[in-house]
Amino acid sequence: MSQINYRTINVDALDPESSANFPMESLLPATLPQAASASDAASAAAQVRQMLRGGDPEGALRTVLDTAPLGGDDRAKEVHLATVIDVLQGIRQGEMTRILEGVCSGDGGAERADCLMKYLYKGMSSAAPGSGTQTPKKPVSPQDTGFSQIQARNLGEGGGGQQMSVLLSWHERLVEIAGTGSIVRVMTDRRTV
Amino acid sequence: MAAHQVHHLFHAPIADHSFSSDKKTLAVARENNVELYQQSGNKFALSDELKGHEKTVTSVDIAPNSGRIVTCSQDRNAYVWEQTPTGWKPTLVLLRINRAATFVRWSPSEQKFAVGSGARVIAVCYFEEENDWWISKHLKKPIRSTITTLAWHPNSVLLAAGSTDSHARVFSSFIKGIDTRPEPSAWGERLPFNTICGEYLNDTAGWIQGVAFSPSGSALAFTGHDSSVTVVYPSAPEQPPRAMLNIATRLLPLNSLIWNGETEIIAAGHDCEPFRFCGDENGWQLAGSLENKAGEVRGAREESALNMFRQMDLKGQAQADTKLKSTHQNTVHTIRAHEEANGVVSSFSTSGVDGRVVIWNV
Repeated sequence: MSQINYRTINVDALDPESSANFPMESLLPATLPQAASASDAASAAAQVRQMLRGGDPEGALRTVLDTAPLGGDDRAKEVHLATVIDVLQGIRQGEMTRILEGVCSGDGGAERADCLMKYLYKGMSSAAPGSGTQTPKKPVSPQDTGFSQIQARNLGEGGGGQQMSVLLSWHERLVEIAGTGSIVRVMTDRRTV
Repeated sequence: MAAHQVHHLFHAPIADHSFSSDKKTLAVARENNVELYQQSGNKFALSDELKGHEKTVTSVDIAPNSGRIVTCSQDRNAYVWEQTPTGWKPTLVLLRINRAATFVRWSPSEQKFAVGSGARVIAVCYFEEENDWWISKHLKKPIRSTITTLAWHPNSVLLAAGSTDSHARVFSSFIKGIDTRPEPSAWGERLPFNTICGEYLNDTAGWIQGVAFSPSGSALAFTGHDSSVTVVYPSAPEQPPRAMLNIATRLLPLNSLIWNGETEIIAAGHDCEPFRFCGDENGWQLAGSLENKAGEVRGAREESALNMFRQMDLKGQAQADTKLKSTHQNTVHTIRAHEEANGVVSSFSTSGVDGRVVIWNV
């Protein structure tokens, strides 16, 4: 009889009725697109950067939001996040409102607005580039809710400050167009970017 | 639009409210009790209290014809209250649940009622004459989380439920001997108890806070924590729906909704005011708020410099803006049709966290 420390047993994991075992994949809609790989994201990035250089920032933003790898793996999502942030940083302050209005109108405009909001929050939550190695995030909540609570905040110091201020001014303008509903949907939507 | 009636009952949240069919009696769930208000003039005055629950009452419903009141609470119990010459007499209903009861509604036939709960079941309760006892039968599969809201189909057999697992479902609650066999419809043909006639998840997957069948029962609308309203038109049994339309709004989340005819939905929630949605199978959109705020006149107080400096001295601001412009001063929890004929609502009532019950003319 070996010593079993019953206090350390995670009883929630053994209880099929426990809410800790809630199947999170049941919240993904059936319309989720095929999983994209990192190389797909990279080729989309090349196409978007081409458009950005060619002087079509609105088309670039539209394309980058339409090709978001909602069903992709973490690597693809990271590559795509970098592309989105590049596009956002490549658009001048004065043009933001005009471009946003273009991107968020028409067919699928509301989805693009929600998608952009997801990227803004993801961009703000991820550590600033150049502030050392990106530590792998440890989920602290029992379920992986997608929102890590303990994490080095980007406090706007050093290299990250620039990116943060760009994201914040995009956020301000996007809320003007898409409203608070868009922020709420970032929290509920399980199709993470 | 005619003025709406505001009844500020008390300074506590109202979990749920219900009017009797003559609109003279109003039941509101306040903390552990249900308070009954009687209309006198154009005011509602407290007339009776239904005491019996040991924890917060979560929901209350008055049956329009029989006048019986059903209540449910976080103490896991439901009571059916019947009026006797000596006052309201409660009958305990054994729900057989081990979590809070969250929501209760009478079926349109008033033979049954359904209780949603945190125990991932819906208890469908009916009266058994020979035992003089309310029996509950559980709808269990495939609910994965707390039931937050319920709505009955006009045929009293189909039941829609919204849950914190982000799915809105349509179940059959057919009970032999109580229900007459329903006509086959797009929801299903043969409907034994616990048939799942539909299971819907929208793309943004928020907790469902409100569900409602259209007056004909041939469409279902639900709203949730993702600030959107989704309308489902079923096609045929076991088939994907003919149309499933999602209206993503720019508002804060909506908590409760009702249909007004087949082409209009009225919903209210965290924005403290009711909104109107219009549309049909080809598309729905937000038509706007039902609150008329344009004619708002700010306090008749003279805006003198003296007054401004006095306000700044007293409160540190020139103008006190602690009051919302909407009629409700906090989240709206429940919206119910007040007067309706053939599915067309001419007035509806709302209640919420601010202790107000408001009757709106459409």
